Amino acid sequence: MSDAIDFMNMEGLKFFGRVNASISHELKNILAIISETVGFSNDLIDLTEQGEKLKLPLFKSCNESIVEEIQRGFDTIKQMNKFAHSVDVPIKETDLLETLMLSIKLSSFLSFASHVQITSQGEETKSVLTCPFLLQNLIYQILIFIYKSIGPDGQINIQLNSKKNDGTQILFSCPTQLSLDGFPTQKIQKIIAILGVELNMNEFLNELDIWIPNDSKKIIVLEKELQMYSYTEKSDNESSKNS
Amino acid sequence: MKIILVDDEQKFITMLAKRLAMRGIKADIAFTGDEAIQKSRDTVYDVAVLDIKMPGISGIQLKNKLSGLDPELKFIFVTGHGAVGQSDENLIDTDVYLAKPLDIENLIKKIYEITKTG
Repeated sequence: MSDAIDFMNMEGLKFFGRVNASISHELKNILAIISETVGFSNDLIDLTEQGEKLKLPLFKSCNESIVEEIQRGFDTIKQMNKFAHSVDVPIKETDLLETLMLSIKLSSFLSFASHVQITSQGEETKSVLTCPFLLQNLIYQILIFIYKSIGPDGQINIQLNSKKNDGTQILFSCPTQLSLDGFPTQKIQKIIAILGVELNMNEFLNELDIWIPNDSKKIIVLEKELQMYSYTEKSDNESSKNS
Repeated sequence: MKIILVDDEQKFITMLAKRLAMRGIKADIAFTGDEAIQKSRDTVYDVAVLDIKMPGISGIQLKNKLSGLDPELKFIFVTGHGAVGQSDENLIDTDVYLAKPLDIENLIKKIYEITKTG
């Protein structure tokens, strides 16, 4: 098994674990709010039964709050589902804007997440042939690093700049000081190498970007390795059935 | 009995504070560590109910800061993690922690227990 696949397996498990932990935390918070709100409604009912006047506006407000939280829960589960399915096909034509938005949403469940705004510029964003799960992980790791640098009150602006027949730049910039000490981390360096993307940093301008080429040779090599790995796995399964 | 509730989930602690008020327990609320510290400078609380993880500060870090302002202050930690105590590093055995969603009667019971033991 190649070094890249080993890394993807190990790192994939860690990434999955971390994201699922933050999603479960988010869902718990949502249920906690619903629980408290229902508890409050029950308290109001108790008071009414004891002779107090029925407080309809408060009941209405409770219901509205519950509906909001249920919607928030559904939205969270939708992201969780998208994330779960991002491993269905290891290498494929990937919509970069969708991948970026999913990574931002998943990272927003972290308690230290900053505020993120996306703007998309240039020609219409393309899909590129890449590993969507690994790209999500890369964007997620970059966002974590920036969140820790600028704090939860900080702001990150992300631009998606596509150049036809060439590639797409994902530019992360901050209006406040962005320290790039310790960046890129070893993990990020490894992911960049596997994906065949380019990383550029400018601490003076408080920005960094990744350049994703439309036709990365590294991705084509990785696709072949993964096909071989699947073939080997399939052969092993057939051998064990026959034995 | 005066308590302070600290959690970045605003709806959660606002509702919790209302329910505690209905049960005769006055509760101030703070959505950030800084807000909690500021309120603690102005008011003497008996118990602080803290979220384990908040933006910018952990529950333990906040406990240490609030204890510095008032060594008599008692603490209850609230966690949204899967298992109470799991990955809550630096919690000591005598710390009280409850999992979300909270059982309010249990919370009140714990509040009275820790203020009795002094």
